[in-house]
Amino acid sequence: MLKYTCRRIIGTIPTLLIVITFVFFFVRMIPGDPARLVAGEQATQEAVEAVREQLGLNEPLPVQYVNYVTGLLHGDLGDSLRTKRPVLDEISARYGNTLALTGMALVWSTIAGVLLGVWSGKNRGKWQDYTGMTLAVSGISLPAFWVGFLLIMLFAVRLRWLPTTGAGSIRNLILPSITLGVSIAAVIARFTRSSIIEVLKEDYIRTARAKGIKEKMVTWRHAFRNSMISVVTVVGLQFGYLLGGSVVTEAVFAYPGLGSLLIESVNYRDYPAIQSLILIFSLQFIIINLVVDILYAVLNPEIKLG
Amino acid sequence: MAGLNLFKKKTAESGQPELNEKTDIKTPFSEAVRKFKRQKNSVIALCFILFLVFLAFFGDILAPYGVNEYDYSSILQGPSLQHFFGTDEFGRDLFSRILMGTKISLAVGLGAVTVGAICGTILGLLGGYYGGIIDSIIMRICDTLFAFPGIILAIAIVAILGSGLYNVVIAVAVFSTPTFARLVRGRTLALKNTVFVQAAKNLGASDFRILFKHILPGAFPEIIVQYTMSIGSSILTASSLSFLGMGAQPPTPEWGLLLANGRTYMMSTVHTTLFPGLAIFLTVLSFNLLGDGLRDALDPKLTD
Repeated sequence: MLKYTCRRIIGTIPTLLIVITFVFFFVRMIPGDPARLVAGEQATQEAVEAVREQLGLNEPLPVQYVNYVTGLLHGDLGDSLRTKRPVLDEISARYGNTLALTGMALVWSTIAGVLLGVWSGKNRGKWQDYTGMTLAVSGISLPAFWVGFLLIMLFAVRLRWLPTTGAGSIRNLILPSITLGVSIAAVIARFTRSSIIEVLKEDYIRTARAKGIKEKMVTWRHAFRNSMISVVTVVGLQFGYLLGGSVVTEAVFAYPGLGSLLIESVNYRDYPAIQSLILIFSLQFIIINLVVDILYAVLNPEIKLG
Repeated sequence: MAGLNLFKKKTAESGQPELNEKTDIKTPFSEAVRKFKRQKNSVIALCFILFLVFLAFFGDILAPYGVNEYDYSSILQGPSLQHFFGTDEFGRDLFSRILMGTKISLAVGLGAVTVGAICGTILGLLGGYYGGIIDSIIMRICDTLFAFPGIILAIAIVAILGSGLYNVVIAVAVFSTPTFARLVRGRTLALKNTVFVQAAKNLGASDFRILFKHILPGAFPEIIVQYTMSIGSSILTASSLSFLGMGAQPPTPEWGLLLANGRTYMMSTVHTTLFPGLAIFLTVLSFNLLGDGLRDALDPKLTD
């Protein structure tokens, strides 16, 4: 087990390096002159050059790259061109918000998705299945920003139950987390359903039924627990997507998280911030994939580790 | 034709009278059609998509008002007989604008996924067939692209290329490429050691012929299903980018942009956000339902 874990961790290092390199050169291709941006429209050519030197943008690309990677290793992501503060501070100030939103969305969508999936799967071909899967395919097809607006119009504007924007309290999180979780719940429901259907075909389910165990017991004790092994993988992967998908939701609710920071940075052509944010998003994604892989191996005794 | 001969032989042997060939021969295609027809939802979805295609071609003629026909005497009006979906802040007819937005959304979705599918398929065929260093490089690129959540990659690409619909198409095409590459590579690996491919090789067929004439058709069912599913999610991503201000620019009647525009008046009116969103939802839903139906019809693993 330890050997497998170590091998998987070492295996992600090349991907990480490629991603860092990719992001570095990628962001350098953004048109526009960041030095001019910082110095201001009216600045003289000398002032712009001075800023360029200060930002280290006058160096040749390979030198910039080495400086960047060295900085990364020291936890230095550079300074934001927009706020002049270290990017790391900007990100850590908002990270908690995105994590809270994503976490809440993941919790409710997992519970709802699994329940809907089990309900559909064990009633395969009946009206429950039909209803459940209609809901699920609709959930996948809903544009998140539309859901957000409809929720705002209903619960914030009409009924005045919840605030439209802001962050900080649970009340602020309810509408955004519903918006963010809808499609994930739908994906989890679809996956749980097919997983349950597969498991219900197994011999041990027939044995359990033949022994006269109550159907409820068969569903939750035998089918549910065994189908969860593969559902864990999907939930984990969706968590990675949620962290990225929060961009749209945060824009709808003017929620101060990483996603809205990314949009602001792109609009301002704030190089260091864009590059760091894309890196953070992808880093999270890689780490989550890694954890999911290892977790799957731990949970599934059928996988031979070597 | 092989199936046809086989069938004839069978009937001759059992002494049955010759049956009507047209209705009784089960080709993989007719089997798929039969299975697909059983999926009522998917058939309806297909009809709706055909209807959308019709609107994409003739929307300009059918629209009761011009796409940018301003009418300051009737701004932000709710749905009525004159304006089915109401009007926006300039008094433009929302129904006409949504109608004319159909071709944008369809073109963006189809265009992006078609480019992505072609690139991904070629990469997957090459990687799977030749293996070695080519395969390693292609799969490394795919791994790198997979290391970004889809929309983040799209935003990064649009940040470089600049805002605009064409750049959104490129962005969506790039992030749908690796999915097709992996899928086709897997099928190619499975098919390249089959007897019929080996036979073609021994008969002296060129690599090009083997790849496109013998291996590609074997991967086709999976490609079609993935293609249909991807169109739905691409339309969603593209409209999300337009919504974020990175895609279509005003006054284009792109659905995501219409929605973004409608949010300004969200506090007072419902129709400016309701209808554009509904259009996106129904379109994406149709493609997803069609994809589901095609998977059930084409996937050999699902027999019942």
